[in-house]
Amino acid sequence: MIIPLLGLLAGIAIGLAFPVTIPIQYSTYMSVAILAALDSVFGGIRSAIEKTFDMEIFISGFFSNAILAAILAYIGDQLGVPIYYAAIFAFGVRLFQNFAIIRRHIIADTKKNHNKI
Amino acid sequence: MNKSWIKYYLFLIAVLMGFMLSMQFKTNRTHEGIVTIPKLLEMQNEINKLKNELKQLSEASDEVIRKYAEYKVSIEETGSIVKSMESELVKIRNYSAYAKVEGPGIIITMNDSDWKLQEGESSDLYVIHDIDVLEVINELKAAGAEAITINDERITGLSNIRCGGPTINIDGKRHAVPFVIKAIGDPKKLEATILAPDSYVDLMEYSGIRVEIAKVEKVTMEGYDIRKDFKYAKKAESGEAK
Repeated sequence: MIIPLLGLLAGIAIGLAFPVTIPIQYSTYMSVAILAALDSVFGGIRSAIEKTFDMEIFISGFFSNAILAAILAYIGDQLGVPIYYAAIFAFGVRLFQNFAIIRRHIIADTKKNHNKI
Repeated sequence: MNKSWIKYYLFLIAVLMGFMLSMQFKTNRTHEGIVTIPKLLEMQNEINKLKNELKQLSEASDEVIRKYAEYKVSIEETGSIVKSMESELVKIRNYSAYAKVEGPGIIITMNDSDWKLQEGESSDLYVIHDIDVLEVINELKAAGAEAITINDERITGLSNIRCGGPTINIDGKRHAVPFVIKAIGDPKKLEATILAPDSYVDLMEYSGIRVEIAKVEKVTMEGYDIRKDFKYAKKAESGEAK
């Protein structure tokens, strides 16, 4: 648990120190990609709690979701249709769902522990 | 997959995640959200304003570059920049009506109506007022007059023409009829503007004001000779379009 947190902090530090900023016109793609990545992370946490975590699925999901979301946003921009709303919607819904499931697992666990005592 | 590798993968992915997040936070997103029509118009305004400012700045910069080249030439030729500064001064004096100038133009002579007043009639309609002179001056300016005098009183950008009872005051000096207005500019254009239907002179002639217009090849005008020092107006930084 501590390793990913350390990694996150290291990544933030690197990003802040990195001398390049994303041009404003690409920031939409970046934010959609981040949303997709976050969705993967929550999915990963959920599967870890359910003991079904698979590294390959996690990594492939992390990258392919992010890239697909960014590409979708780009295509939408070219067509003049805000397709990235679809990505935001899909990933957003899944994110909350995953979070709800994680919450239930945690609450169930604490209750079990409490009953033991 | 080897179990021991998992933490490295996790670490790398977490680093990537953090990197992406911080990159995104660093981006300065001023136009976040949906672009509505008022927002769009506001942005367009902003763009136009900036474009204008840019134009003004580049003009100012061109001017400075040109001046610099002029000074350089003058230094090479005569060893000092006095000459080019003098010519600049002449130009500025010319613009601000301080210099004596000559050129083609027109001469307008305006005189009160010779109508004999009837019982109960007011003379107001038949004499020239300060506002009449002002209107004519304004029309001359609109027609592109470059220098104007009234009774040999040079009109500057800040000249005032006010009522002084039976006379009018131009920059505080009293002047009576006939008013001789001289203007330097394209004589044809000046005359056409002054004589156009519905022009002010056209209106004045209804009330019998006598107006004579003559195109001339050469009018000479003395410069405005009163020095004015600005007390309140200070030079502003150039290029600020606000």
